[in-house]
Amino acid sequence: MFIISEIVALLTTNLILTQALGTSTLFIAAGSRKNLLWTAVSISVFTTIGSFGACLLDSMLPDSLYDLKMLFYVLIIGMLYIISLTVLYFADRKDFGTTRKYIHVSAFNCAVMGTLFTISENAEAANLTMLDYICAGAEAGAGFILAAFVFTAAFKSLNSENVPSSFRGFPAALIYLGIISMAIYALM
Amino acid sequence: MMNNKMPATNGFIRKNAVLSGLMVISPVIVCGNTVMNALAFIYAFSAITFLSVAAGSFVPKKIPYGLRIIIYAVLGSLAYIPVKEAAEMFFPGVIERIGIYFMLIAVNSLITVQSEVKFYKYKKGKMLVSVMSHILGFDLVMLVVSAIRELLAYGTFCGRIVDAEVLISGLGMPFGGFIFLGLICGIYRWIVPGGKADEDFGGDRDVYNF
Repeated sequence: MFIISEIVALLTTNLILTQALGTSTLFIAAGSRKNLLWTAVSISVFTTIGSFGACLLDSMLPDSLYDLKMLFYVLIIGMLYIISLTVLYFADRKDFGTTRKYIHVSAFNCAVMGTLFTISENAEAANLTMLDYICAGAEAGAGFILAAFVFTAAFKSLNSENVPSSFRGFPAALIYLGIISMAIYALM
Repeated sequence: MMNNKMPATNGFIRKNAVLSGLMVISPVIVCGNTVMNALAFIYAFSAITFLSVAAGSFVPKKIPYGLRIIIYAVLGSLAYIPVKEAAEMFFPGVIERIGIYFMLIAVNSLITVQSEVKFYKYKKGKMLVSVMSHILGFDLVMLVVSAIRELLAYGTFCGRIVDAEVLISGLGMPFGGFIFLGLICGIYRWIVPGGKADEDFGGDRDVYNF
């Protein structure tokens, strides 16, 4: 029951399926399963660690500087981006040319920035602690992986020759995500 | 990589950012449900994207790619500040409705990962034409999608009640946006020759080639 309720929670708070955040990234990554998996994992790392940075910033940033929040979030993700590339370079120098692309795609997109802003907005209403921020970031990342999994399950069918050529691929995928999203809306 | 001999105006229809390029689709799905939302978003998207991409073209190429991406995102965030100030005057109340999507324009993929693939291959003049065509292409899709969705979902146009006999309220929801955009996209690909992305999923997978 616990696992089922966790999966339902991940679906109902899913940024892609409920708010369409990160849909473009999902489609771009969907070129191959390997791209999709590693992009989803990279995004999870960014949302989780980025949430920690967002928590620190939110606790320090005065309301008068609210308009600069976007800039500061970009700088947080920017720092994380450089650190990730550096770690990846020293950890696996041989494959760095291949693996760095996942970091490039995952850093600045609506999935990551949208997660930080969504958590920040919720924090204003619910007085979240740092642990809550990090958990929410990890949950958003897990939600992206789950959406990627749901998407991968239908990937072949959406590209099959049974689908009319003008709807094959991206248009069919949008309709598919819409139907999944509608089902989740019923759960909410 | 994109062929830099390709016409710079391609972004308007033939290589439309939303329908062909799979970019900036979340605001069309979520915010593109009324014309007023769409107009506010179009204004902000056009201003922030144009200013950021134009300013980003002065970033030297000898700076490592990762740092250039950060600079582009910072430029987008800086452009967001005055645009938001002006938006609060022109579209009072709408900015709150659009919520975080308004802020996320600053890191939209046309500014960050796609700018090098789509725009900076060209010389300055042609690049600006290309940026404008991509922006106008997005604006057109946003406007058409929002007008039809508002009419069918709420029976209004620009907030004014019209005589609509059948309402499909689900079209105003994000899931309705997904499905409607999918249908529009399929029709677009059926009508426009070459509208289909070269490799469909990952049609902009050039971003994976850096």
